[in-house]
Formats: sequence, C-alpha cells, structure tokens
Amino acid sequence: MPSALDRSADDPDGPSGARSDGFASGVRTRFERYRNLQFTDPEIAAMLLAPVVAYLVAVSYYPIAATIWTSLHDNALGLRGPPEFVGLENYRSLLSNGSFWNSLKVSLIYTGVSVPIELALGMGIALLVNRRFKGKFVAQAAILFPWALPTIINARIWQWLYHGEYGVFNDMLLRVGLIESPYAFLAHPTSAMAAMLVVTIWKTSSFMALILLAGLQSIPEHLYEAAEMDGTSRWQRFTDITLPLLKPTILVALIFRTLPAFQAFGLPYGLTGGGPGESTTTLVLFDHRITFSQLAFGEGSAAATVITLIALAISMVYVSTLYEPEVR
Amino acid sequence: MATVDGADERYSSLQRIGEAVGFYGAIAVLVAVSFFPVVWILLTSLKQPATIAQFPVEYVPDPVTLENYRTAFEQAPFARYLFNSFVVAGSTAIIDVVLGAMAGYALSRLEFRGKLPILLFILVSAMLPYIGRLIPLFQLFRSSGLLNSYLGLILPYAAFQLPFAVWIFQAYFKELPDSLEEAALMDGLSHLGILFRIILPVSAPAMATTAIIVFVYAWNEFLFALTFMTQDEMRTITVGIALYQGQYTFPWGTISAATFVSIVPLVLFILFFQRKIVRGLTAGIGK
Repeated sequence: MPSALDRSADDPDGPSGARSDGFASGVRTRFERYRNLQFTDPEIAAMLLAPVVAYLVAVSYYPIAATIWTSLHDNALGLRGPPEFVGLENYRSLLSNGSFWNSLKVSLIYTGVSVPIELALGMGIALLVNRRFKGKFVAQAAILFPWALPTIINARIWQWLYHGEYGVFNDMLLRVGLIESPYAFLAHPTSAMAAMLVVTIWKTSSFMALILLAGLQSIPEHLYEAAEMDGTSRWQRFTDITLPLLKPTILVALIFRTLPAFQAFGLPYGLTGGGPGESTTTLVLFDHRITFSQLAFGEGSAAATVITLIALAISMVYVSTLYEPEVR
Repeated sequence: MATVDGADERYSSLQRIGEAVGFYGAIAVLVAVSFFPVVWILLTSLKQPATIAQFPVEYVPDPVTLENYRTAFEQAPFARYLFNSFVVAGSTAIIDVVLGAMAGYALSRLEFRGKLPILLFILVSAMLPYIGRLIPLFQLFRSSGLLNSYLGLILPYAAFQLPFAVWIFQAYFKELPDSLEEAALMDGLSHLGILFRIILPVSAPAMATTAIIVFVYAWNEFLFALTFMTQDEMRTITVGIALYQGQYTFPWGTISAATFVSIVPLVLFILFFQRKIVRGLTAGIGK
C-alpha cells in the first residue's frame, strides 16, 4: 500500500533522473494539500463546468433566442432607426413565399430519399466487412474517406464528373452505349435532384456502415452459433437476431444522418447552385439566400426558427423511440 | 491465395475459392467506388488545359504536367487558404480538448447534484441547427469586429463540437478504474491534482480521438466560413475552392490541383488514425 512514508523513502534511491523531479513534486504535493484540500466535489465541478456552460450559452443558446427575437421584429439590425416589434408578420410573409414551400419540399425529398437508401447500403457494407479478412485496413480507409471529404469540395469534384460536355460519366455512358450524346445532368430539374442524391448517398452510406458495424460487433457470437445449430437460414438469423438487437444502433444512425440531411447547404451550393431554377434549393440554401443576399433578416430568422423547430421535432421523435428500450 | 478467415474445412476448396472471389470482388467494388472521384481529380490535375476540355475523355494524362499545381499556388492564393484552415482547425481542436476534458472529468468522476440536467444541457446544443445560430452570430461578430478573423470561426466551431468532445471524455473517464483516484487521494492529492497528474496523462487516446474528429469538422465546415470570411485572404480552403473562378473559362485543372492538395492531409489523417477515428465516431454505440 503506497503511503507518504514509502514515497519519501523511495525518492533517494529512485531511478536515475527521477530524483530532482520527485523532490519537486513532493513539495508541490504538500503545497497543493494546503491550498486545495478545502474544495469539495460540487465546488470543483462548478469550477470545471461553469466555463463550458457559459460558453455554450453565449455561442449556442443565446443565438437561438436572438434568432427568435429577430424573427418577431422589423428592422432588427437597427439600420433604419430602432427595431420595431411586428408579431408574426415575418412568418406571414415567409409562409406566403412560394420559394419557401419549394425549398421545404426539396429538403423533405432530399432527406426522405437519401436517408433510407443510405441505411440500406450502409447495412450491406457493414455486414460485408463485419469479419476478419486480409486487407481490412484498405477497406476501412475506403469507408472513412467519403466521410472525411469536405462536402463543398466533394460537390465541386462531382460537378466535374457530371460535366455536360467533358464529364467522365458522359464518356463512360457513351462508351457502353447507354446514351447517344452527352447529357447535361445538372441542367434538368429531375436529373439534377437525382445527381445530388447520388452524391450524398455516396458520401454518407459508409458513415452509416461505420455506426452499424459498431452495433453489429456488440451482438454476442454465441447467439448466431446457437441459431445455426438449429438449422436456420442466414436470412432468418438476420431478421430474428441481427435486426432486433441492432434497433437502438439503427435509430442512432438515423438521427445522426437525418438532422444533417435536413440542413443540407454545401452540396446544393457547390453542385447545382440550387438550380436549375429552384429545383435543388434546400431550406438552408433558401434561408441563407434571403438573409445574406436579399438582406431580409426578419424573414430569414423566421425561416431559421422554423428549421430549428422541425429539427428539434425530428430529434424528439427519434429520442422518444430510442429511450423506450432503456426504460423497460 | 487469400481465403476468408474462419472458412470451414468441410467446404470443398472450389466453394471456398468461389466465396473468396465473391467477397473480395465486393470489397474491390467498395474501394473503387470510394476512391474513384479523387483518382479522377488527380488525373485531371495532371493534364494540360487542352486535354482537359476534350471529348471523348482522355483517361491517362499524356503528357503529364504539373502546370496546374504551379498555377494553384502561384497565381491563386491556395497556400494561404490552406494555412488559414490549419490555424482555424488546429485552434478549434485544442480548445475542445481542454474544455471537453474539464467537463468530461466533472461529469464522470465527481459527485454533485444536477449532473444529468447539465449533461443534457450540453448534449442538446448539438441538436440545434447551425442556421439557427448563424444570423445572430453574424450580427454580433460584425459589430465586434470578429468577421474576417480566425477567432470569428474558432469560437463557433469549438462551441458546436464541444458536446461531442464532452461526450468522448466523459465516456472515456467513466471506464477508468476507481482505484486510480483512491490511491491518489490517500497520497494526499487534491481533486485538481488528480485531474492534472493522474487522469490527464492516461487520457491521451481520448484527446487524440477528440482532436482528430474536431479538426476534420472544422477543416470541412462551409456555411460559417462562407458567411464570416468575406475577405479573400481570410478564406479557408473550402471557401477558397468553392468561390474560385477563372478569368475566362472555368479552371478545372487548377481547381483539381488545389482540391487534390487539400485532400492529401485528410488521406494521411485517415491512414494514420484509422482506429481512433472509428472509435470516436462510434463512441457509446452498442453498449
């Protein structure tokens, strides 16, 4: 059992180089004992947590409150005299703006189509690599790479791949005979949306796989062995063992992907610029535009408030579903 | 040839080979699909301007040229953009490691009332949309002169990733044995002494995980970087590449060169820190 006595006895014979160090730390320990022992757990916790909480209030919570405040005022920046309280006026003009409804539709389609496909592909990848094999290092690098690539730079890369005149996709499709002349993927509303969906599915399916893989690895091996001895098929084992036990992980993966997908900004900005027309203008791209290009800060804040409320509602739905298994 | 580990000996060797071919075929497709866009960017960046705008496409650059890299770094300020990104992402990572370790220690190893509300207060901030925080911070930073400054990006980035940092540290500290502190308390160390002399030295893995993932987030962020950095010389690499325009035609060669250079640090990160990244992204899952 270590004690102060042992330590002081050790010091003179300690390993070379530790001698002056041991002496200094001995003095410091005594000093700290006088200075710090009077602090209790709650006091130390307050000292450690206060800066963190204050920081989050200032940079995360206060801005949300300020956004709501701005959404209820006209001239909130005070550029033309004092701000004026206008009630829900900004919301009224937002809801009568066709571009808002269009961008809401774009974001819902974007989220609703991409997230389920990402989940299915991610599950496939996770099941594929959930074993020991030579070259796992390379496979894992391939899984991490799309996650690490900046969204906006990725958008630029794919803009080049999709290029209507010199793009490599056009070249490949021509060579295999699927098209007869180069097609401007990003110049037509439907194909632009489809092109954007392909990019986000490419980028985030592997992230889904990573999350699901962590869940798969926590399922005990003996469950599968027992089921295999009972003569069940692979598919049965997947639906009877894997899926139910993976449910909490799937919900985490869904929440991790749904919120960012609903807030997509960089991809439409860099790939299509929201076009053609407004066919790929997502909610956040719309909001950014009316706020910083048209300088409609009141309406922009109203849109930001609506986005915040929807995002919180999505989180709440997921979390309430997620919490159930732990309560039981 | 390589076979899948654990393949049963009852299988005929033919079946085993068939399965291995199918499995490695699927892995090959995964690897090819993941890396294809970047391979294409590399090939484009090595082509001469005349062969870039050419159809049918020339797949192998001939002759190979580094002209595009020279343009990207001599005529366009991509070196400056990369430097800005390093400063912002590095500072953000340091702040989150320090604050994350402090809060994580308090939440996992100290006894006090109100622990759960504080943890929730920290974690819920991660669910707030970025756009909901953008407009007031823009106004605030404009009036306080923080637009076009490194601090103007570091402050929001560090706050946005702080919930993640706290989560990683409190999960890591929770796993450490209680005996660590008991021995130290008996030696007369104070709580702060325990944190700085006992806990922090053994938490290098949590620090690395937090630093890497926060760094990648800050390096990749676009919405705030685009809005807050309006002066060209303050742009980060993401904004620099997104807004780069050529004088006459769209400069795909230069863009490709700059893009490829900006990706190299990420690829090195992934190769060196693979396990830490995976552990960080999946912390708390499947437990």
